[in-house]
This record gives sequence, C-alpha cells and structure tokens, in this order.
Amino acid sequence: MRRHDQRPELGRTPRWKFAEPEQFWLDNGLHVLLCHRPGQHVAAICLSLDIPLNLEPEHLEGVATIAQRVLDEGTNQHPGASYAESLENIGAVLDGSVGLSASQLFVSVPVPRLPEALALLAEAARTPELNQADIDRHQQLRLAEIEQTLANSAALAQLTFRTATVRRRWRASRPAGGTRESVAAITPAAVREFHADYYRPEGGTLIVSGDFDAGLHAAVEATFGDWLVPGTVDAVHHVPTARLPHRWLIDRPGAVQADVRLGALGIDRADPRWPDVQVATHAVGGAFLSRLNKVLREELGFTYGVHLVNQPMRNRGLLAVQGSFRTEVLAEAVARAGSLLDLTARPLTDAEVTQAVAFHLGSSPLRYSTAHQVTENLAALIAAGVTAEFINANARALAQVTPASATSALAELLPPDRLTLVVVGDADALVEPLARAGWPTTRHAAQA
Amino acid sequence: MRVVISPDHSVPVVAVNIWYDVGSRDELDGQRGWAHLFEHLMFSGSAHVDSGEHLHLLQSLGGSVNATTWFDRTNYFETVGLGALDLALWLEGDRLATLADHLAEASVETQREVVKEEKRQRYDNVPYGQAMAELAVLVFGADHPYGHTTIGSMADIDAATAASAADFFRAHYRPGNAVITLVGDVQPKDALKRVDRALGWIPTTSRPPRTPATPLPPLTGIPRKTLTDPVPAAASYLAWRLPPRDTPEFDACDLALSILGAGQTARLHQRIVRELELAASAGAQALGLIGGNSLGLAHVRALPGQDAAEATEASLTEIAKLADDGPTPAELERVKAQYAREWLTELARFDSRADAISAYATLHSDPERINRRLAEVEAVDAAQVQLAAATYLAPDSRAQLDYTDGTPDATA
Repeated sequence: MRRHDQRPELGRTPRWKFAEPEQFWLDNGLHVLLCHRPGQHVAAICLSLDIPLNLEPEHLEGVATIAQRVLDEGTNQHPGASYAESLENIGAVLDGSVGLSASQLFVSVPVPRLPEALALLAEAARTPELNQADIDRHQQLRLAEIEQTLANSAALAQLTFRTATVRRRWRASRPAGGTRESVAAITPAAVREFHADYYRPEGGTLIVSGDFDAGLHAAVEATFGDWLVPGTVDAVHHVPTARLPHRWLIDRPGAVQADVRLGALGIDRADPRWPDVQVATHAVGGAFLSRLNKVLREELGFTYGVHLVNQPMRNRGLLAVQGSFRTEVLAEAVARAGSLLDLTARPLTDAEVTQAVAFHLGSSPLRYSTAHQVTENLAALIAAGVTAEFINANARALAQVTPASATSALAELLPPDRLTLVVVGDADALVEPLARAGWPTTRHAAQA
Repeated sequence: MRVVISPDHSVPVVAVNIWYDVGSRDELDGQRGWAHLFEHLMFSGSAHVDSGEHLHLLQSLGGSVNATTWFDRTNYFETVGLGALDLALWLEGDRLATLADHLAEASVETQREVVKEEKRQRYDNVPYGQAMAELAVLVFGADHPYGHTTIGSMADIDAATAASAADFFRAHYRPGNAVITLVGDVQPKDALKRVDRALGWIPTTSRPPRTPATPLPPLTGIPRKTLTDPVPAAASYLAWRLPPRDTPEFDACDLALSILGAGQTARLHQRIVRELELAASAGAQALGLIGGNSLGLAHVRALPGQDAAEATEASLTEIAKLADDGPTPAELERVKAQYAREWLTELARFDSRADAISAYATLHSDPERINRRLAEVEAVDAAQVQLAAATYLAPDSRAQLDYTDGTPDATA
C-alpha cells in the first residue's frame, strides 16, 4: 500500500436545510411544533411557557424557579412520589429550565410511550399539587444551590459579569433563580399564586420531535386542548440597558487560578448585526485557532482554553471573553486579551470570515441531528422570541457577511476603552499586577 | 487496524471515531498523566500538518473535533460533512504515521502548561475537585492501574520530554492497537476503500499482549480519608470495587446503584433528601471499567452548615436494605426502562454511536454487541440485583471520603 503525503481534495457535501416543523395552534392559543425525524426512537418534548421573569415580584425573585421545581413532586391525578414513578415507569425523564424569558419543561421518552408522556407533562403543568412541604424543601435546596454557585469560581464570575454589565433596574442584572434574600422570602402562597397566574397556554409553545406517527395530533389535542386559564396576562419582555463599564476584582483567597470575564452588553438575534457578530465571535474567540486561543493557549500555555462567548438573551445579550488563567500570568492574559479584542488595529481577514461562515453552515446539520437536539435548539429560539424560520434565514444571512461588516459589528460592541472586566481570584496577588498591566480594578464583594 | 462502518443516511455527515487501546491504566510509575498529555500532543502537528491545523482545518469546514482520555482508552473523533471525510481520515493517518518523529520540545512544553491549567481549572479550583483522584487511591491503592486518574501528577507531567513522549507514542499508538469506526451517510464498500487508502499503508507491529487483570475482591476494613477544604457544604463519597464492565454481575450492580441513586424515585433521594431532609443531594452510579474491576459510587452532600454523617448513615441503611430485601418488581422495571431510554439516546447521535461501537470493539472485541445490550440488561432478575448488592455493595466493603468545610491543614 502506498503512503499518501498529498492532502486530499475536498469532496462535495450535500447542502442541508432545516426541515421546518409542521405547526398549528390549539384553540386555547398554544402553538404546536411537530418535527418528524425518521429513525429517532427517543422523542423529545418541550413545553415552553411565555413567562418573562420581570413578572416576578422583586422581593420574591426565584419564585418561578421554585414553582417549576415543585411541579413533578405530585399532581392531582398522581399524588406525591407516584407522579415521578409514573414518568420513570415509561422510561421518561423530565427536566426543567427557568430562563429570563421562558419557563420550559423537557421530557425525553421512547416514542411508543409518547402519548402517556404528553399526558403526564400536561398534568405537571396544569394540575400540580404544590404541597407546602415540597415547596419548603425546594426553597432550602435552592438556598443550598446558591452556596454551591458562589463557591464555584467560574459561576461566580458569570453571575458578577451580569451584575456589572446590566443596569440594576432590569431583571436581567440578577440571577434567574433569585438571591439568598429573595429566595428566603418565598412562601407557598406566593408559589401557588405564581403558578395560577402565569402557567397558561396563551403565548406558550409545545415542541415534539422524533419518529412519531399520525396519532400524535390527537394526543396533543386530548392532553392540552381543554387547558383554559381565566384572565389575561400582559407578558411584556423588558429590554435591558447597559451600565457604565466597571472593572471588578472578587476575592477568592488562595485560589490557584482566576476566572476572567471581559466584555460588554451584546445583541440578540433580531439585531441586523447578528450574523456579523456570530462570524466575528468565532474568528476572535470561538475556533480552536481563534485569535484569543491561538495566542493565550497554543502559544503561551496560559490557559486550558479561552473563548469569546456570544450569549444572546431575548432582548440584548452578553458578549465576553471567558477564561481561567493561573494567578501568575493573569494580568498579562487580560492585557493581551484586551489588545486582541481591538479589531480596529487588526481587522478580520477574508480567510477568517470564510472559515467562520463555513463553520456555522457546516456544523448546522450536526446541531440538529437528533430529536433531542432539534427540540432543545428550537426551544432556545422560542424562548428568544424568534420562530423556527430563523434557522434557514440565518444561514442565508451568514453567507452575506463580509470582513468589513463583521469587523465593524464587533468593534462597535466591544470598544477597547469601554470594556467591563470581572476577575475572580486571589485579590492580594492580582490587584497590583492588573493595575501595572493597565487594568486597574476595584475590589467588589461577591453578591448573592 | 480494525474498521467498523455503520451507515445511516439521515443527515449528510459522517462521524469518525478512533479508539487507541491506551488509557491512564497503562501509565507506569513516573508517567502519571502522560496518556492525557499525549492526547494534547496529537494536535500539535505531524509531517504534513502544522500545530493546531488538524482541528483548525476541520472546524473551518463545519466539523466538530475533539479527543478524550479515560482509564481504559484514548479516543479521537471528528464529525464532518461528507466532503471532508477523506481529509479527516488523511489527518488521522498523518499523525498516526509520523507524529513520533515530529514532536517538538516547544510543543511539549506548551502542552505541559496547558494540561496543568486544565488540572487547576477542572480539579484544583473547584469544590470537591479532588474526589475522584482520592477515591481511586482508597479503592484500588496508588500502585494499581486504576489507582490514579487521567489528569495524573504535576511532577510526572513536568518530567515529560519530547523524547519520552515519542517513546510513549511508539509503544501504544499502532494501527494494531486501534479501532476506527465510521457512522454516517456512507456506503460501507466505498468507505472502507477510503479508510484503507488513508490508514492501510501504515506499518504496524503488535503490542505485547496485556497481562490479564486480576480482579480484586471487595474491600475490607473501610479505607477512609477526610479532606478539610473550603467547600460550600460537607459531603461524603462512598465507593466499592465492582466486577468488570458489562458482565451480568456488573449489570446487576449497575441496576442496584440505579435503584439506589438515579432519578427522582431512587431510594437515596426519596429517603434522605425528600423524607428525612438530611441532605441537599444523594445519588449513586456505576462506572464501568474493563481491567478486572469497575467502580461503584454513591454520594451525599449536606445542607449548608450541617455535617454529612447522619445522611451517610442513612444511605448505608438504605444500601443494606436493598441487599436484605431486594428490589421491588416495579423498581426493577423502572430502572430497566430508564436504561433503555439512555441507551437509545446514546445511539441516536452519530458521534456517540460511533464511540459506543469503538468501545465494544476495543474492550469486548464485539462491536455487534451494541445490538444485544438491551436484552442483556433486560435479562437481569431481582435475585441477581439483590445478590449483587449483598456481594459487592456491602457497607463494610466500602471506601469512604469525607469533605468538611475549613482551611486545609498545612501539613496535608
């Protein structure tokens, strides 16, 4: 057999398009998206409810999280532990997430048990028991979880960056799950009231992906069709605005590494610059040989990995360099990251843009290859207030991005002299080197 | 090199997955962490590929590329559009054929630093980050192949040179010591031709056969350790020696641990978190290994400010109860149903399906076994689960690691 030193030519990869879901509305306003995916024997369901967290009373923030976590502790039809048993008996698993703009319940289940899983999901959303003992326990567990989060350097950096970037009047400046103080104030009555007011079909979306049969329509209609909740809710999603830039140092005495967040308030998917920012983010800090990772990891060995992360919310987003560096090199790493973000000095090249666009288009089929991924990704879009059409439309928009448009979009969003910096690490060892490197910081207490 | 091809035409991509039969269990004294360091060096360039270029090229075509190291193996994988299959295979061939001769001291130096940063980020700078490394020593002893974890020792990583890395490569990275699996939109005949063209020419010598591992009996004497560390809540970890992975005895242990500790209906959660409210979380799982023994794990994490002793005692009571009374029929059905969903989910993705096939080919010489796994697990009965709990999960056969909140002891 002959050895081949010659790099092979690229072949043709068939063009991929997202197969758009079948969609319809139930009379009660629930939007239904059905994604038929042959060969996917584990179905993935999401019930996404239009609950912006700015609906939570400020002194009870976290009430949406507690309300969701108690749903599967028992329903009127399946009290107590018998609810979880019924779900697990059919091989199903239920998860939830409460984000700034939606409360979502996810169920994975083998396709043959899909109708039963839908019925159990509907029970949890519509007729949960919401027992006092369960609510009290979940309140304690959430308080314990807050302590775990604060003890984790990366999580604390993320939380603090949010506080440092978004003006305090907006819900988005605070943790989705609430703080020590607000969680401690939550009462069973508040949880029940929140559920009664805001768990409703209007504005909600049910997504089902998998290799299901035609009987699914009837099952959806039977489980959710008669869901009616009196009254109306004005579910306005706020648009957060940015704070002035801050440079904060949070002390973790003796930490061997420091976590960094360096960036600003970003944009959401409805912004015309969205595809430009996707491309620029990949080139500067998404790819393995991105500008940031090439220098800080592959050349200098300062970090296990550094990224520029574009984290959209429904309105606006967070855009920041994220990385963890050993204490001794932290200041130099921040200074270099700051320079690498300055695209006016070194605009993005044709090659960088071509590669970033190819990455986004080429990786799409993979991101939508299983029922689970289809449901999960669609659910993220729905929470962000965009429709399934966004996937194919965005692919077309990406192809229009130029080096100039990508460069200017990122330069506008991350002006080098107006970046917010959060460092979580050994403050005594970091404060002077940071100042010397041109990044003076103020000490800031961790908030919970 | 063994080749397995599993066509699936649902999406125009193909997952390439290579398992090299080398993991942290193959590291000798003074080499702890080398298998993993080596995984990093596999991206540092070879005869016709620059440092980082393997990842960069495929990523620039929309591919996803990575590698991981585990006790029993090192795997390298990329999922790419069909048009990039030849390139992916060629890149794998180039590094397998030529990497040892192109290891630069500078690359080794940089990746040593990167790996040390990985250790700080994933293990040293996170609460409870040392738990697995400590449990491995308690359960197997530091000299056992499973007595250390993949991240290894800083001193051994510091001692690695380009020459020693090249020797490690030559010892383990041979076509005969590897399995390559393709899952995706390919025709088997054509795909095999492509694999053969890219990798078939690379000469191989067989590695000396492994000495079959001697299974260790269950622990005696309850090896214990307490770590004082700034943790947000006290926690205890329990661990047991189990039979090797995917034997009927292991499957019975796996189901027993699921009954105890997986999901919301599990006994530990129901009793300790829900009824007694003694802990913030409680769970259990089996970690399958091929070399003589696997590892069984259970944990409880206390509520802030409380200690974990009472919750740990309650866990041991629950575990003993399962050995005394066995599972209920409903519990057994439930954990089997959960196993089936998890297994089907695993096989639903091209990349994880390819990884499962490589695993069964490498560790069990039987890739087809992925089609029989559900039947094997289904066949385990209540008596086997009860016997497994009594034999392998006895409270007296455990190791125990306790975390208490505090400033670390200066002498530790």
